[in-house]
Amino acid sequence: MAEMWINMGPQHPMTHGLWNLKVKVDGETVVDAEPEVGYLHRGVEKICEDRTYPQIIPIADRLCYGSSLTWSHLYCMTVEDLMDLKVPPRAEHIRVVAIEMQRIASHLMWLAAYAVDLGMMAGFLYAMRDREIFIDLLQALSGSRITYNYPRIGGVAHDLPPNFQRDALRACDYMDKKLKEYEDLYDGSTVFLMRNQGVGILRREDAMNLGVTGPTMRGSGIAYDLRKDHPYSVYPDMDFEVASHPDCDCYARYRVRMVEMRESARIIRQALAKMPQGKWRTIAPRTAPEGTGIGRVEDPRGEGMMYVVGDGTDKPYRLKIRSPIFVSVSAAPKMLIGYKVADVVAIMGTLDMCIGETDR
Amino acid sequence: MNLFEFCYGLMHWLVDILNNIWYWLGDFLPWKFGDFFIAIGDLAKAHGTIAVAAILLEVLIIFIIALVSVLNFIWLDRKFMGRIFDFYGPYYVGYRIGGWLQNLADGMKLFVKEVITPSKADKAGFLLAPVVFVASSVLALSTIPLSPDFGVAVNRAGDFVPAGALFAFAAFAIAPFSILVAGWSSNNKYTIIGGMRSAAQMMSYEIPLLLTVASVCLMAGSFSFVDIVAAQSNIWFAIPLALGFIVFLVCIVAEVEIQPFDLPEAEAELVEGWTTEYSGMRFGLFMMTSYLRSYVAGALVTALFLGGWHGFDFIPGPIWFLIKAYIVFIVLTWMRWSLPRIRVDQILQFGWTRLMPLAMLNLLIAAAFKTLGWF
Amino acid sequence: MAQAQKVTFSGWVVRPMMRTMTQFIRSFVTGKPNTVLYPYQKLDLPPTYRGLQTLDFKKCIGCGNCVEICPNDCMWLEKLEDPELGKIERPGVDIGRCLFCGFCAEVCPTCAIHMTSEFELANRDRSKLVLGPTAIRDDTYHERFAEERQKQRLPVLDLSKCTSCEKCAGECPEMCVAMMPMDGVGTSKPEISLHKCTSCGKCAEVCPEKCLVMTDVYEQYFEMPEPKFVLKSCTGCSACAKACPADAIYMLEMPGTEKALKDGKKGKPKKRAVFVLEKCVGCGRCFRACKFKAIEMPGVEK
Repeated sequence: MAEMWINMGPQHPMTHGLWNLKVKVDGETVVDAEPEVGYLHRGVEKICEDRTYPQIIPIADRLCYGSSLTWSHLYCMTVEDLMDLKVPPRAEHIRVVAIEMQRIASHLMWLAAYAVDLGMMAGFLYAMRDREIFIDLLQALSGSRITYNYPRIGGVAHDLPPNFQRDALRACDYMDKKLKEYEDLYDGSTVFLMRNQGVGILRREDAMNLGVTGPTMRGSGIAYDLRKDHPYSVYPDMDFEVASHPDCDCYARYRVRMVEMRESARIIRQALAKMPQGKWRTIAPRTAPEGTGIGRVEDPRGEGMMYVVGDGTDKPYRLKIRSPIFVSVSAAPKMLIGYKVADVVAIMGTLDMCIGETDR
Repeated sequence: MNLFEFCYGLMHWLVDILNNIWYWLGDFLPWKFGDFFIAIGDLAKAHGTIAVAAILLEVLIIFIIALVSVLNFIWLDRKFMGRIFDFYGPYYVGYRIGGWLQNLADGMKLFVKEVITPSKADKAGFLLAPVVFVASSVLALSTIPLSPDFGVAVNRAGDFVPAGALFAFAAFAIAPFSILVAGWSSNNKYTIIGGMRSAAQMMSYEIPLLLTVASVCLMAGSFSFVDIVAAQSNIWFAIPLALGFIVFLVCIVAEVEIQPFDLPEAEAELVEGWTTEYSGMRFGLFMMTSYLRSYVAGALVTALFLGGWHGFDFIPGPIWFLIKAYIVFIVLTWMRWSLPRIRVDQILQFGWTRLMPLAMLNLLIAAAFKTLGWF
Repeated sequence: MAQAQKVTFSGWVVRPMMRTMTQFIRSFVTGKPNTVLYPYQKLDLPPTYRGLQTLDFKKCIGCGNCVEICPNDCMWLEKLEDPELGKIERPGVDIGRCLFCGFCAEVCPTCAIHMTSEFELANRDRSKLVLGPTAIRDDTYHERFAEERQKQRLPVLDLSKCTSCEKCAGECPEMCVAMMPMDGVGTSKPEISLHKCTSCGKCAEVCPEKCLVMTDVYEQYFEMPEPKFVLKSCTGCSACAKACPADAIYMLEMPGTEKALKDGKKGKPKKRAVFVLEKCVGCGRCFRACKFKAIEMPGVEK
C-alpha cells in the first residue's frame, strides 16, 4: 500500500481534546507526523486584558480544566509577585494541600484516559472512581468539582471546612492502598508491558533540546522538578522525592506519574501536619503598581509560567501564559516516527494532553 | 423423542386443524373452486410437505434458541461488566428482572435510526456484507446438536451428518471475507485498515484452531459431533488435551474479536473499525452477530472439550449444553474486561510463532494418546 | 523504581483477572457498587456547594457590586416596585451565562446573595434561563441556613449628634480613636481605626449623645474603591446622599457660611457631604451622581 496521510482528525474518540494529528503511514509504520493545534483557541489572553485582577481567577481556572487549581494558583502567585504581596502561612499550606490533591486527581484522570486508549476499560473505571474521592474533597473545600475558583490574590477564598483533615488523611491512605492494587492491573499485566516497553522513545538529548518539561522529561532520565530546583510556596519545608526513570519509553513516563502520585500523598500528609493557625487571606490592593510579575509552577503536565504587566490601573495590561503541552506537542513527531499506527495512541496518551492550555 | 419427530407431530396436528377449513371450503364451493381447495388439503396432508414444514420449524427453533442466547449474552455481558467495574449494569428498563429488557429497548432504538449509505460506497458490497456475515454465522450452528435428540442436521434414520465439525468450522470461517468486503466497500481509510487487520488476524488464527480441532477429531475418531461427545463419556477432552484446550480458547477469542484481540474494532484509534459507516439496524446486525459468534464459539468449546451434553441426569442434555456454553462465555467476558488490547503485529507474531508450535505439539500428544490405546 | 519490569507468565491473564474478580466480589457479594441511582437517590452536597443564587430582598441594598464583579457580565439591576419596600433596584442573573463562580455572594456587603445547592437548572428554552430578581427571591434563606461570612461589630458614627466631647477617645482601651478636625464644620470628629478595634463597645456606652452605635458589619475581602471628597467643589445639592444605597453619606450644615440676605436676616447655611466610610460599599453611585466633580474615585468609570 502506498504511503498515505491519515488525519487523526479533530473529531476523534482518541484525541483528548480538539486537535489534529496528521500521520503519514507506510503500511502500518509511521513515517512522518504533523500536529495541528488551534481548534480550541478562545482568546484567553485578550479576554484577560479587559477584566480586573480578581475577575481573571475563574478564567485562569478554565485554561486547563484537567488541573485547574494549578493555573489559578499560578495566576495568583504571578499577581502577588507584581504587587509584592505577602501571603499568610496558613494560606500557603492550604494551597499546597489543594494543589497536591489536584495533582493526584489530574494523574488519575490521565491514567483513566490512557487505559481506555489501550483498551482496558477496567483501568478507566477504577481510576475515575478513585478520582471521585479527591474531587469530592476539593468540592467540600471550594464548592465546585472541576473549576474551583478557590485561590485568591493574597490567600485562599475561605478556610478549611470541618473534618477536612480527617477526610484528607483517609483519602491519602486509600490512595496508597489503591496504588498497590494498580500494580496488578498495569505493571503486572504482560500485555500492558508489551504495549509500553520500548515504545515511543524520546532520547535525553532530544528532551533537553526541545524544552519538554514535566513527567515527559523525567521519564527520559532528567530529574528536574521545579518544586525542588526552584521552590515556591512552602515546598522547601516538604520532604519528598523527585520521580524519574532512565528508560525513555512510554513505560517510564507511566512509572513517573505513578510515583508522583505517591509522593503527592506524602506532601499532603506533611502539609496537614504542619498547618499553622491564623488568617487565610489578606486583602489585595485593587490597583496594581506599574511593573511586571512572573510566576512558575510545576503543573502536573510540565512547567507552567505566567507573566503579567501592570500599568497602575485595576486591569492588567498584558497577561502571557506559557503552556507545557504546547512544547510537548511539538516534540511529538520525534516520538512517533518509526513506530506502528497502533502505537500512536499509546504515545500520545503518555503525553497527557490537555488542549485547553495549549490553545488558550 | 427426536426433535424431528416432535416437529413432525406438531406440524401434523397443525395441518389437521387447517385441513378442516380447506375441506369445508371444498365441500361448500361448487365446481372448480371446490376441487381446488380439496387439492390443497390433500397436498398439505402429504408426508413430504409435512416433513419440509417440520424441518423449517426445527431450524426456527434452533435459531430462536440462538437469538435468545444472544439476548442473554448481551445482558450477562453488561451486568458482569458492570459489577467488575463497580457500577450496576442495565438497571431501570425491566427493573424487576434485572434490566433484561434493555436489550429490546436498544434494538428498538436501532430500528428507528436513520440508515445511511455513503454515496461513494460500493453498493453491492456494502449491502451484502452484513447479510453474508450473519448468514454464515448462523449456518455454523446448523450442525451443532444440543443433544443426540436435539439437532437439525439429521437424516431420516436419525444419524447426524458425519462431517459436522468440518462444516461448522468451514461456515465459521467465511466471516473474514465479509469483513474485508464491508471494510473495503465503505470507501473510508479507517475501515480499509480495520478490514485488513481483521482479515489478517482471523486468517492467522484459523490454523492453530483447526490443528486443535484435528487433534480432537483424532482422539474421537470421527468428525461428527455426536461421536466426539460420546467419546468424552469417561473424561472430558479438556483434561488430557489441556494444551489444546488453552490454544483453542485463545484462537476462538481471536476469531470472535473480543478484547484482548479486538484491534480491528479498536474504538480508540479507528472509531469503530470496519463497521464505522454502518448505521441503524445494519450496525445492529453486526453487533448481534458478534455475540452470536461468541455463542457459536461457546457451543463449539462445549462440544469439543467440555463433554457436550454429559452431566447429572436430573437436568436434560440440552440444558447442560447451554449451561456449559454460558459458563464459557462468562469466562471469556471476564477475560475481556481485564486485559488491554494487543497490538496487531504482536497479535500476528503471537499467532504464528507461539500458538502454531503449541498446536502441533498438541496434535502429537493426541496422536500419542491414540496410539497408546487409552482412547 | 528504576528497574525494568519483568514480563511474567502469570501476568498474561492471571494477575489482571484476579484483580477484576476481587472487585467483582466486592461489588456483588460483599458490598454494593459505587453508584448513586440518580434521580431516585440524591447526591450529598457539601454546604459550600455553589449552585443557584438566592436573593434576600430585605437585606439587599441595591448597590450593584455583584453586577460589577461578575466576570461574565451575567447580572443586571432591575427597577422594581415592591409593596413593602417601595421603589427598589434588585439584581437578576442570567444562568445561561453564569459561571457559578460565587463572586457575587463573596462581594455582597450585606450577605444578601447566597449560593444554594440547587443544580437541576436545565431548561429547553434559553430565554427561561434569564432569571429576574423576583425569580430568585427568598427572604427566609438566612433563617434556614447558617451564615457563611464572619461579622464584626464596629462602632458607626452619626456625626449630626456628635458634640466633640472627646469622651470616646479617652475611654478606648486600644487607643483607636483619634479626634480629627473636619473642614468647614469647625468641629472635630472622632476617627476610628477599624483594624485596631476589638469591638469592646466602651466608646458606644460612654457617648452621652448616643451617636456611636455598634453595628454588625460583614468582613469584606475585596478592596473596594473609596470616594475622596473635594470640599471646594461641593455645593450641598445632596445628590450623592440620595444616590447612596448604603446610607453612608449625609449632609451637614457648615456654620459660618450663611449668606446675608437683603432684609438683614441670615439665610440658611451651606451644607457639605459627610462620608461614613465604615458603611461605604464602594459602588460608585455617589461618584456618578455628583455633577460638580466634588467626589473623586480613581479607577471607576462614569
